[in-house]
Amino acid sequence: MNWNFIPLALGEAISPTTAAYALATIGLVVHFGFTGLVNFGQAGFMAVGGYAFAITTLKLDWPFPFAVLATIVASVLFAFVLGIPTLRLRADYLSIVTIAAAEIIRLSVKTAEIYDVTGGSTGLNGAADTFQALNPIPPGNYGIGVLRFTAPDLWTMIVGWALVLLACLLVWALMRSPWGRIVKGIREDEDAVRALGKNVFSYKMQALVLGGVLGGLAGALFILPRSLQPDNYGTQLTFFLYTIMLLGGATTIFGPLLGSAIFWVVLSLSDGLLTLGVDAHVLPISSTQQGPIRFIIVGFALMLLVIFRPQGILGKRIEVFFRA
Amino acid sequence: MSELIAGEPAPGVAKRDPILVADHVTRRFGGLTAVDVEHVEIPAHAITALIGPNGAGKTTFFNLLTGFDKPNTGHWTFRGEQLAGVPAFRVARRGMVRTFQLTKALALLSVIDNMLLGASNRAGENFFAALVPAAWRARDAQLTEKADELLRKFRLDTKRDDYAGSLSGGQRKLLEMARALMSDPALVMLDEPMAGVNPALTQSLLRHILELKEQGMTVLFVEHDMHVVREIADWVVVMAEGSVVAEGSPETVMSDPAVIDAYLGAHHGTDLGTVRGRLEVAEGMESELVRSEVEGEAAGDGR
Amino acid sequence: MKTARQTQPRRRALLGAFVLLGVVLGLLGAAPAAAAAPSPAALAPAASAPTASTPSATLAPAAAADLAPAAAAVTPASALAADALDPATAPESIAVWVRSLPSRAGVPGLTVTVTGKGYSQTFTTDADGRVEVGLPAPGDYTVAIDESTIPADLGSLPKGSNPRTVTVQETNKGVPANFLISQAAAGGATTPTPGATTGPARTASPAPSSGGSHGAFWDIFASKIVTGVIYGLLLALASIGVSLIYGTTGLNNFAHGELVTFGALMAYVAGTLLHLPGWIGIIAAIVLGGAYGFVQDTVLWRPLRRRGVGLVPLMIVSIGLALATRYIYAFFFGADRLTIPNDPSPFLVIGPISLRFTDVMGAVLALVVLLLVAFVMLRTRLGKAARAVADNRALAAASGIDVDFVIRCIWIGGGALAGLSGVLIAYYQSLRWDTGSSILLLIFAAVTLGGLGSAFGALVGSLVLSVFMNLATLVIPDNLKYAAALVVMILILLFRPQGILGRRERVG
Repeated sequence: MNWNFIPLALGEAISPTTAAYALATIGLVVHFGFTGLVNFGQAGFMAVGGYAFAITTLKLDWPFPFAVLATIVASVLFAFVLGIPTLRLRADYLSIVTIAAAEIIRLSVKTAEIYDVTGGSTGLNGAADTFQALNPIPPGNYGIGVLRFTAPDLWTMIVGWALVLLACLLVWALMRSPWGRIVKGIREDEDAVRALGKNVFSYKMQALVLGGVLGGLAGALFILPRSLQPDNYGTQLTFFLYTIMLLGGATTIFGPLLGSAIFWVVLSLSDGLLTLGVDAHVLPISSTQQGPIRFIIVGFALMLLVIFRPQGILGKRIEVFFRA
Repeated sequence: MSELIAGEPAPGVAKRDPILVADHVTRRFGGLTAVDVEHVEIPAHAITALIGPNGAGKTTFFNLLTGFDKPNTGHWTFRGEQLAGVPAFRVARRGMVRTFQLTKALALLSVIDNMLLGASNRAGENFFAALVPAAWRARDAQLTEKADELLRKFRLDTKRDDYAGSLSGGQRKLLEMARALMSDPALVMLDEPMAGVNPALTQSLLRHILELKEQGMTVLFVEHDMHVVREIADWVVVMAEGSVVAEGSPETVMSDPAVIDAYLGAHHGTDLGTVRGRLEVAEGMESELVRSEVEGEAAGDGR
Repeated sequence: MKTARQTQPRRRALLGAFVLLGVVLGLLGAAPAAAAAPSPAALAPAASAPTASTPSATLAPAAAADLAPAAAAVTPASALAADALDPATAPESIAVWVRSLPSRAGVPGLTVTVTGKGYSQTFTTDADGRVEVGLPAPGDYTVAIDESTIPADLGSLPKGSNPRTVTVQETNKGVPANFLISQAAAGGATTPTPGATTGPARTASPAPSSGGSHGAFWDIFASKIVTGVIYGLLLALASIGVSLIYGTTGLNNFAHGELVTFGALMAYVAGTLLHLPGWIGIIAAIVLGGAYGFVQDTVLWRPLRRRGVGLVPLMIVSIGLALATRYIYAFFFGADRLTIPNDPSPFLVIGPISLRFTDVMGAVLALVVLLLVAFVMLRTRLGKAARAVADNRALAAASGIDVDFVIRCIWIGGGALAGLSGVLIAYYQSLRWDTGSSILLLIFAAVTLGGLGSAFGALVGSLVLSVFMNLATLVIPDNLKYAAALVVMILILLFRPQGILGRRERVG
């Protein structure tokens, strides 16, 4: 029996993908946990960010810093397009509009007519080249035991997690300021905050833009270790982020980090265990039936979290953000 | 209290020193006219009570004046400035602050954070300046001091760091009023400040309202309890079916047969009739705020 | 509503029977399905990713790509070496159909060559004159009929119609490539059938007419309308439940698509696995769908309502439920297209429109059931109570309506209608583990369009949306029609949240 999957699964806790999910979830925490905006289209922000980064890098040959800038600008624009008409809507309307907008993005980029720009349904490959060109780490293999990282892996990981920590710091600084007080007040009751002389719409917009930019950057980070494929940005991605957010705690700064790490470690561990069980013929399932199991786990986790521990792992019991 | 008015007491009478003047304000929900106020003036530096039977349009009128609802017609001035069409948050910034019939304590914020939201901290509320604590710390400390003082006055100082959600109904009313005072408003508009407050707290609430007047503020409040009105109001405006039907000092208004009629008339039909009538109003309304309030009221009556 | 309360015990017993039946049939269905789960790599876990191809990327989007990034991109080249692909498992396919003009009968035994994307295979048309060709990847393919194999007495193919280029979008199955052999083929007036349309187009594909391009446009137009109306009726069945559940409980049920799939899967179990006649499958879908709705409400939603859980968390619970159940379906039924026995021959041919028996019956059945729903909503106590609750819950409760009972009935009815919708959609288009979830946003769009909370709104919204989507493909690429529907929904939410029927604004 090969138990290597255990250290490999634990290694998932620090993988760049985990960092990307954590970053996108921090954005979602700004939206949902702190401001009370039910954004079901965070996958759309990631797609916008990812495409902006990839298109400016691959099709326009922009250097890395400008591509990052383009990512930010595109996310801000998407936030405005989404926010200006919808932020006055009720919470459940907003959720439907955002999920629809994310799907519209995903379906539109797949159109064959704009294949030259977006790569159609095959997506875009090689967007990380300009980023890896900046890699100061000498080529080689780094790591302990079976957990090995190449120099590009390591570089992506370092930059990714630095970005995540920076985002945490930013959100932490904002949330302890009067600005944070206002958005939290909006989450509780926007009319009350309006009655106290605050421009609620403007603050909701600022929060949407902030969370959206974090989502967009996460989208760019997400495609550094892989190619960009439109179907990665389906509604499921958003729901994974919700699971991660609720796992860690929707109103916490470090919840997304913890949630994302646990999410990926658990999924990899369960995959590993299942493979082990199937290969040894201990489990009465075929290897093709293994695939759906992780999603079944996520689905149940999401339901059980909301019902039994809505505050997540790091949240305080009282800070249950859900009220009747 | 005839020194407040510049003419004979009658609906829409001119005041010597009006702080708020409204003209031709109407609001229709579908076929139903909820508010139709021809002309009304609210005297400055006084306590004015807005009374009337259920469904008279008092809360809707409040919502219109404070920018929480949009009228079909009408305009009004506050301290001489046009206010019609001004968004709610700007209305508040100009010194006209309101509370809500169903209290809106921000449950998952601490009591002190609730208070601090009441005032403005220009630097700290700006996205970028918020990242530099030096820019807003001093102002925040100053506001905290003020908030603590108000909390002591409203006997909420022991709850300072608790979540507002843990307060009792009456304490929430107090908190909401104290929070409104953080911005030193010129006009405080209280929507049923006594509703749901336990009788022991009523007296202290009344004292606070009287104190506001002593500090030079103007108070306009909606109230059902005639004892309260008699006790603290300098002037009473009576609404029925959306219009102002009478105005005067508490004594004269309460002996006015038209007012008694309006009240008795509404209370004759009793429960189910009134419940139905009001819910029909609610269904047609376009402002969710108004609806939730009316519905809450109905649910309260139903119990 | 005293009577509603009095009938409750009897109803309860009935419901109990439903549930029992559901469990029994469910077990019957699940066991063989699990045993017979097909093996293709579509659901392969990420760990075995090197074999993963396009289906796994779409099925396990983030996941497959994440855990095995290196294996994420499989170029079409790797698939080129393959022999003829099984059209049932290939993600894309072309449906070739060769008929003879006067009789419109299929022509068997013709040699067809499909070339493109480095792939080239030769096939022979079957007894109906059809052959479905599985493809390695989306793209442009050339379909050529070997004219020397056409019996001389039938005539020949019109000039320009052979060979034909067919554009296949991703996941488009059964993209039509129809050929008509005629005696007077020399005149170049006939227009080749437009290619890239998804599923339903096959059932109502316009045949070339002799009326020139103008006539052809109207032929296409008419067939799009028919397709749209039929699909709209099926969509309406699913939408009514969503609308009424929203109206009575305020819940945006993201797991409604799974109710749709559930019904279709039950029909699949009955029809394909147990070889029962089709009508039993349809009844099973309705009954078990209703039972499933009942179980869902009793086990999950009612307790949560009792606890006073807010609407947003409820929405997230429904998302979790949708994810879990959808993949439970995939676990038991596999990731491939499932087929319920169906007779593909044309049943009703009006001008350019050709419909199969199940298309016609599905539409008729949907219409009858919708009329029945209208009758229940308008004429029965239960229906009136349901409308009262949807209108104003507090008032309904205050006037003595047993709100919980009404909500339970709506879950049962909604589940049954969704089940019926599922099986009819399975007949009309295709069935997979994610058939329902793929139309979830479409259902939301239809409900929004018609006015949230209203059963009639859901019907009108579904019809309008479906016809709009089908007509939209006249001007926009086919794969964007879904996006177009979502755009319509967003616009409605922004500018007319009460829906097109113009009911007064519902603010709760």
